[in-house]
Amino acid sequence: MLLLQSPSRYLLQILSNRVQNLEKGVELDCHSVEFDDVRFHVQASVKNPHILLLSVSLPVPPPEALFVGGLPFGAIEAIKAAYGVVAQILDPPRDGFNLTMKLNLSKLPLDEEKRHVFLVKIASVREVVLGAPLRVILENLASRSLTPDIGRLVALVHRPKESFFLVPQAEKVTIVFPMRFKDSIDTTLATSFLQEFVEARRTAGLSNAPFCLWSPSQPLELGGVSDEALSANAGFVSFVILPRHVEGKKLERTVWNLSTFHAYVSYHVKCSEGFMHTRMRRRVESLIEALDRAKPDGEAAKKVGIRSSFKQLGLRDARSSANSYIRLRISSDCKEDEWKLYRSFQTQS
Amino acid sequence: MDPATSRPAVVIDNGTGYTKMGFAGNVEPCFIIPTVVAVNDSFVNQQRTSNKSNRLTQYSASVMADVDFLIGDEAIARSRSSSIYNLKYPIKNGQVDDWDGMERFWQQCIFNYLRCDPEDHYFLLTESPLTAPESREYTGEIMFETFNVPGLHMAVQPVLALAAGYTTSKCEMTGVVVDVGDGGTHVVPVAEGYVIGSSIKSIPISGRDVTLFVQRLMRERGENIPPEDSFEVARKVKEMYCYTCSDIVKEFNKHDKEPAKYIKQWKGTKPKTGASYSCDIGYERFLGPEVFFNPEIYSSDFTTPLPAVIDACIQTAPIDTRRALYKNVVLSGGSTIFKDFHRRLERDLKKIVDARVLASEARLGRELKSHPVEVNVVSHHIQRYAVWFGGSVLASTPEFYAVCHTKAEYEEHGASICRANPVFKGMY
Repeated sequence: MLLLQSPSRYLLQILSNRVQNLEKGVELDCHSVEFDDVRFHVQASVKNPHILLLSVSLPVPPPEALFVGGLPFGAIEAIKAAYGVVAQILDPPRDGFNLTMKLNLSKLPLDEEKRHVFLVKIASVREVVLGAPLRVILENLASRSLTPDIGRLVALVHRPKESFFLVPQAEKVTIVFPMRFKDSIDTTLATSFLQEFVEARRTAGLSNAPFCLWSPSQPLELGGVSDEALSANAGFVSFVILPRHVEGKKLERTVWNLSTFHAYVSYHVKCSEGFMHTRMRRRVESLIEALDRAKPDGEAAKKVGIRSSFKQLGLRDARSSANSYIRLRISSDCKEDEWKLYRSFQTQS
Repeated sequence: MDPATSRPAVVIDNGTGYTKMGFAGNVEPCFIIPTVVAVNDSFVNQQRTSNKSNRLTQYSASVMADVDFLIGDEAIARSRSSSIYNLKYPIKNGQVDDWDGMERFWQQCIFNYLRCDPEDHYFLLTESPLTAPESREYTGEIMFETFNVPGLHMAVQPVLALAAGYTTSKCEMTGVVVDVGDGGTHVVPVAEGYVIGSSIKSIPISGRDVTLFVQRLMRERGENIPPEDSFEVARKVKEMYCYTCSDIVKEFNKHDKEPAKYIKQWKGTKPKTGASYSCDIGYERFLGPEVFFNPEIYSSDFTTPLPAVIDACIQTAPIDTRRALYKNVVLSGGSTIFKDFHRRLERDLKKIVDARVLASEARLGRELKSHPVEVNVVSHHIQRYAVWFGGSVLASTPEFYAVCHTKAEYEEHGASICRANPVFKGMY
């Protein structure tokens, strides 16, 4: 609920519908766009109902990120390992997409439960493809195997023309996110959210969570990266991932949580704004109630008449003047929200 | 150029019963989910104590409760399995009633269902023709302030439904839209894409009343349904088994003669104990949709049948559009997909029109013969989400981006830019 789920609901819905009604296959041609500009396109025909074409387009990579043939490094191996015989990678991909897979639904496992697990896996294609390089590095960390790129900075794309940075070392991997937001209010909220986020790490219950750090200026690890890639208006967040965070089953979740960290923050900035509005509305209502009570009887009766005819001029006036006062009150409430959100994030990863 | 215009717009049609959402350019909405929010209310009514630490824990618990909510089918499932969640229906009778609930609902729709970043997409929302300007302003405020959408357009549901009919069956942009949703029924005449605002008729009988009527019939017959479940069961029965008959008396006879063929069974499990139960579904199969044609069987407050309302609506429209309006009566909304609904509507409407033509001929004498009036009720396979489909078509045209209210405009002028009612401005 609080975290974004890895499988795309829409893809999962399409796939399971398709699998359930395999004999009466209908023409299918639909597209969807996810956060960070990941696009999906699904195509199926009546003629071959068990063949499904799934195309994925990834965010435009910045110059510093490493891409091989339009895909992040290690992606093709990851796809092959994850989907095996069911998926066949078409080369070249569809126009405007980075990857096109031909899914053969007749090769899915027959067992109901296993099949569902597999479909969920296909629906999480985003994680498989975009998280591939991160997974490779973290796997190396988990097995503590020495790799040639120790100490070298790796840039991975996570948003259009934006990347985050990894510094793999023998015993730990440092991950740095430059945080950027378009809107000035979002930037402010995100900054205070991240500060609280880091603060909350220090509480006793979270001593096993990855270390994290927020700083307004770029950390020392990022020496030698172009200034353009480092223009961040909400500071930098760094996580230190230790081998114990990527053991066994934890790996997948860590990869997903890290590769969608920006989306997570912006989701919760939006949530906080929503809660603030809720509180403002509640406060305005209670203030108006108080105002109504203070009025003499004759006037109060008139007020009721006005309200029922939708003229809310009085209400809106009251609202704008009340807002500034309420904002003050709310800013203190909000920190609590963020702290709670942070806790849930930390315990998950 | 704004990068957001290169991405498909998000189209969300919030209905009283179901919300249809998806991306422009698709033929079908991505998700159709019930418009319902399950909120954890267990903290709201707790006693406030003066103890400081206690107050703090209570406070943070209530913050958690703020975050703790579900929407759609998940909400219904959760409220059945645990008692601390309360179901809230943010839209009542086609109008947003609970803005907090609505904001949460949108938030979940965008982030957890469509999984898109609202800053990346233009949005098309829909509203009923009777929405007050204030509520449009509120919507604009939420969309621009909370979600930072780059552009927003609020379209009128009937016009979109007509546009959907226009693209599927090549009928004109002149017609009467009969929109029977879960929360409201509107009859809206549209001439050349412009809504004739003065002739809009709404009637207080909608899909929800059909559900309530089915529920009442089943309760009165003494079917064995747990009371807390009866509304949901009635809704499912309505959606799965109801149909429109041509004549009630004949239909009663048919049911009595061959009960095995017409009486269906419903099986379910009681939410509290998990015990299974079953009940019969009988006359309510055709009596449910009958409330539109004979409202007196449901309530004594409103007794004008739907065909008569449509006729009255067309009669108040400008005289030169009436023939075209009769020719193109478009259905939209989930409650018009009862089997044979359009046939029955067409027949009844034709009856009224023919009676009037005959009467006027008799009055004028035998010499003057009028052209017969063509009555046509158009039905298409996407009726259930016709409004959404119309929105999808509209939002995939390049002109759409030009008519949106943009974030820059909002910041310059404030929420009042959303005030103007597009009903009186035609398509856009």
